[in-house]
Amino acid sequence: MADPISDHLLENHKGGGTSVPPPAVVVRGIVKRYGALAACDGVDLTMRAGEIHGVLGQNGAGKSTLMKILIGLVMPDEGSIAINGKGARIGSPQIASDLGIGMVHQHFSLVDGLSVWENVVLGEKAHLDRSAARSRVAEIGERYGLDVDPDARVSSLTAGQRQRVEIIKCLRRDPKILIFDEPTSVLTPEESSHLFGVLRNVVKTEGRTVALVSHKLEEVLRATDDITIMRDGKVVAFMRTNETDRHALAEAMVGRTVDLRGGKARHVSDSTVVTSENTEPLPVLEVVNASVQTKAAGVQLANLSLSVMPGEIVGIAGVEGNGQRVLADVLSSLTALNSGSVKVNGSEIATGRPGAMSKSGIGVIPEDRHDSGCVLDMSVAENLVLASQETVAHRGFLDRKKITSQAQDLVQLFGISCSTVDAPMWTLSGGNQQRVVLARELSIGPSVLVAAQPTRGLDVGAIEYMGERLKQAAADGVGVLLISSEIEELIELSDRILVMYRGAIVGEMKAGEIDMHRLGMLMGGAE
Amino acid sequence: MLAFLGSFGDILANGPLYQSTFRLAAILVFAAAGEWVAERAGTINISVEAMLLGGHFATAIAYTQTSNFAFSLAVGALAGVFVSSFQAYLSHYLNADQFGIGLTLNILLLGLVAFLEPNFDLSTKLAGEVKVPLLYDIPILGPAMFGQRWPMYLVYAVVPLSWWLLMRTKWGLEVRAVGEDPQAADVTGIHVNARRRHAILYTGFIAGLGGGVYLLGQVGRFESGNIGGKGIIAIAAVIFGGWTLRGAVAGCILFGYVDALRLNLPNIVGHDFNAQLLAALPFLATIVVMLIFAKHTRQPVSLARPFLRGLK
Amino acid sequence: MSSTSSVKRDRIELIGLYVVSIVLAFVIAAILVNTSGGSWSKAVEAMMNGAFKNPGRWGETLRRAAPLLIVAAGSAVAAKAGIINIGQEGQVLVGATGAAFIMTKIQPGSPLMLILGIILGMLAGAAWAGIAALLYYWRRVPVVLSTLLLVYLSSQMTGYTMTRKSLLLEIVKGSPNRIQNSAKTAVNSRLGIMHIFGNNVPLTVPVAIIVAVGVAYMLAHSVWGFRLKMLGLNPRTAQRAGVSHVRFGTMALLTSGAAAGLAGSLMLATGESNYRVSSGFSASVGWDGLLVALVARNNPYASIPVALAFASLHTGSNFLAAAGVESVLVDVIRGLLVLALFIPPAVSELRKKRRVLDLMTERA
Repeated sequence: MADPISDHLLENHKGGGTSVPPPAVVVRGIVKRYGALAACDGVDLTMRAGEIHGVLGQNGAGKSTLMKILIGLVMPDEGSIAINGKGARIGSPQIASDLGIGMVHQHFSLVDGLSVWENVVLGEKAHLDRSAARSRVAEIGERYGLDVDPDARVSSLTAGQRQRVEIIKCLRRDPKILIFDEPTSVLTPEESSHLFGVLRNVVKTEGRTVALVSHKLEEVLRATDDITIMRDGKVVAFMRTNETDRHALAEAMVGRTVDLRGGKARHVSDSTVVTSENTEPLPVLEVVNASVQTKAAGVQLANLSLSVMPGEIVGIAGVEGNGQRVLADVLSSLTALNSGSVKVNGSEIATGRPGAMSKSGIGVIPEDRHDSGCVLDMSVAENLVLASQETVAHRGFLDRKKITSQAQDLVQLFGISCSTVDAPMWTLSGGNQQRVVLARELSIGPSVLVAAQPTRGLDVGAIEYMGERLKQAAADGVGVLLISSEIEELIELSDRILVMYRGAIVGEMKAGEIDMHRLGMLMGGAE
Repeated sequence: MLAFLGSFGDILANGPLYQSTFRLAAILVFAAAGEWVAERAGTINISVEAMLLGGHFATAIAYTQTSNFAFSLAVGALAGVFVSSFQAYLSHYLNADQFGIGLTLNILLLGLVAFLEPNFDLSTKLAGEVKVPLLYDIPILGPAMFGQRWPMYLVYAVVPLSWWLLMRTKWGLEVRAVGEDPQAADVTGIHVNARRRHAILYTGFIAGLGGGVYLLGQVGRFESGNIGGKGIIAIAAVIFGGWTLRGAVAGCILFGYVDALRLNLPNIVGHDFNAQLLAALPFLATIVVMLIFAKHTRQPVSLARPFLRGLK
Repeated sequence: MSSTSSVKRDRIELIGLYVVSIVLAFVIAAILVNTSGGSWSKAVEAMMNGAFKNPGRWGETLRRAAPLLIVAAGSAVAAKAGIINIGQEGQVLVGATGAAFIMTKIQPGSPLMLILGIILGMLAGAAWAGIAALLYYWRRVPVVLSTLLLVYLSSQMTGYTMTRKSLLLEIVKGSPNRIQNSAKTAVNSRLGIMHIFGNNVPLTVPVAIIVAVGVAYMLAHSVWGFRLKMLGLNPRTAQRAGVSHVRFGTMALLTSGAAAGLAGSLMLATGESNYRVSSGFSASVGWDGLLVALVARNNPYASIPVALAFASLHTGSNFLAAAGVESVLVDVIRGLLVLALFIPPAVSELRKKRRVLDLMTERA
């Protein structure tokens, strides 16, 4: 596939003599398939040295896979890579590191049980020198404004602090190319702008190259020099940041004209409004003064109270790591409350008792479906009846015919694409796995549906589908609790948005009255 | 009642009891100091039992052939490494189940030793006693800790060695990282399974050495039943100690004390106990101690979880 | 490369690997025999005679295979729930000892006493495994460790019951007790033995097959099996769906112990070690049964041929001494064989991974 812009860049390099350095990264025709799904489908990318390059795309557009390929965590099926003008085969993270590529990961790269300085020096070739390492951490922290205590245990740090450690760790190896994968999802708005200052500094004063992977238009516009836009595993556009605007980016990213401000106020269906006026219905879900505290993690929920009415979508906004996961765990019977209570349709439910929440009518689409949403080594049909085996059993034995026919119905109803219902769950794409979870949770006829980051890692079609389904569930009278770090998603779907900070609800806004500035302040704990 | 208290006092002031406590704890310490490293890397090596036995047997053969104490101990350590290499490569290279491998190695080695033993005319003897000046004169503890046969003193080297390796070297940092969070370690560029293998090989080295020391520093004569369960108790000590070396050593001393009590109780109290019940004492005590004192300490997060970088 | 052809190739490769590694295990064993002054061909012949050819021997092999199969079926239950019980050797022994309290002490026996004895044996085995469950769910002591410790403890604790006349020690008039074992079981509390073509086949054999098939069926088709599997594969999802880790995990461990106890009591009821219990009674049935389950990858059906193979190694070994080879050779062979059987699935998995990586090297 021809890519005029980067070809042009390459030629420019050849013809331009010594003055123009070769591009830091040239990627050509990268293909990576997961089963039937191509996460990257002939991707070309050219990153110029000494600039910040934005890689923009919706969740599931293939950005993360592409970056994992650059960092040696994933092997491409096809394609070639050149780093600083030289062909490279990046077979492992070690090789990437030797080539001068460093990545600041979104998740999973700090070891909780170790201290900050230990994490920073981890994986280096030099001998362990405790005092030198500690002072170096302090020094890098000071130079870039990344303040953190070198002796602190990583498990005790906030998400923002962890990211600082990640950046220090990455910078300490003096990489020529830094990749930032969705760096702001764990940051408050203030912390985000601070980060962009650091990035600019790194590029300007030290000539490094930065890739900023994101699905947020605003930050890519603000922080980058060039932008490559991906959609459905392909590169759909390349732009210079100062020659484009939000609308052009959004159109390229989504693939059609979008109304950026439109559709945020979802109309509450008339029927529920009427009933609410007449009879003051009971909330389907009430969480009252819920507190969770553990020795290892400290206070996780602090006197949190909220309620969800039938037919209502309540959004929970907040920077990740402020207790959203624990709240979802409580509503999944995975965590018990230290004090407080959970009520469904007015009756109190024992927390932490296996299956109690599910039985009382709380369906959950968990943040990490592989963690508590499905069993990858069981079949699609089995996954569809995980929570309701009794209904498909006769005298303690499973009725396979019934399971199969029920599964086939659900597969059709929810448009799940799988070879057969007996195929193992792991053979399905992420989006289809998510549909299986959704289908199961809705098939038990819940009063409440908790959806935690339900669109994370899904492609555009799946995201839209999920939104429609949540609206549909609400229209059918289900109370929906939507936990998300995507503010746009919350605004589009919610009737009410609650802001969560340090394990408590710190603010509330109605659908029509959302003030973005105040929302940002609340998320940062400013009120 | 008074008589009971009296005999209790006898037990506490009994010198030989402390001497045998030290001796019996020493072999546990060898096994535990090695096993601790492997567990911090994320493996539970039940084959530490086989590593002890391998060292025990190989040292006996080497001594029979050469009559050289130091050389025989070295052979014992290498034999431990040899046994541990099976555990290391099968479970962290081929990704076979670590417990299945460990169990099979334990059974295999018992059989192998029993099969091979008649082919060797084993004759071994104890190494010379060395009394450490000054320290030996400390009452009760002196003779126990500093009046032993010289190979036993290696225990004083092994504990700091393990600690230093794990807590102060780059390798040790990587080993700890691998046991806590292999995904993160991998992303950081550490070869997870290689570190785990190294940790197991180290366990084999120390446990093999311990098996040899036990032979030449304490029992003097090879018998395949000598090891019977000591490796398993050492694993219990590591868990008892909450995966700290200090705690593990304390566990070894506790279990060593119980074992010594088993040997010395009839002499001290002057009353015969049922032999079977006495033999059960160390295991019974280990279980009871675990039941009462094992804390919900933070274990290495990915203990006993195999690592495979996903190609999925 | 189409996926079906690669699947086929993987399968052929896997079978090839099994053949190679089994042959290798036997070659190593043969070398051991020859270097220690024996003759491997004679050893093989002796083992064949001991396991099948000589009169009455295949009955003996079946007698040994039956408890292995029962133990293996129980191990599979625990393993499916993700719990690693490796203390079957102790659970078998404790089970037999429990059964002996009824079968040997209550004279004259009766079929009712037989059944009660078996039930007590199962309860004893389950209780022994239950200690490990208690240690795990209360104190987080790994089940692997506690079950193993309990094996060591079991032989001494049961040995103790054989030193007290008030417990199980056989009361022999006139002479002091030299050997510590129990009295014989009451004649009426014994389980029948079928005589087929000159072989004595105990009723344990059909019982074992029923147990294995039953366990396989329950695991595959019952709600109980479904929940166990869910727990083993993803404990958090299971908890959300109402499967309590503590309750189901404990139950799986108890079931596994009860199966071992059943094996032990049936051995006693069908004349193992002349209807007497001693501290060496379990004779590695627990270890062997566990290894059967491991090799058969916790599939009760696959455990049937594996149990037969392990049993014939055992019965064959009884004839080794006649060929001038130590009978413990079989322990070595068995260990090598199990290691050998671990390797093929692991290697084939690894190969698959390598092939993908190689493909990428070609393209880069």
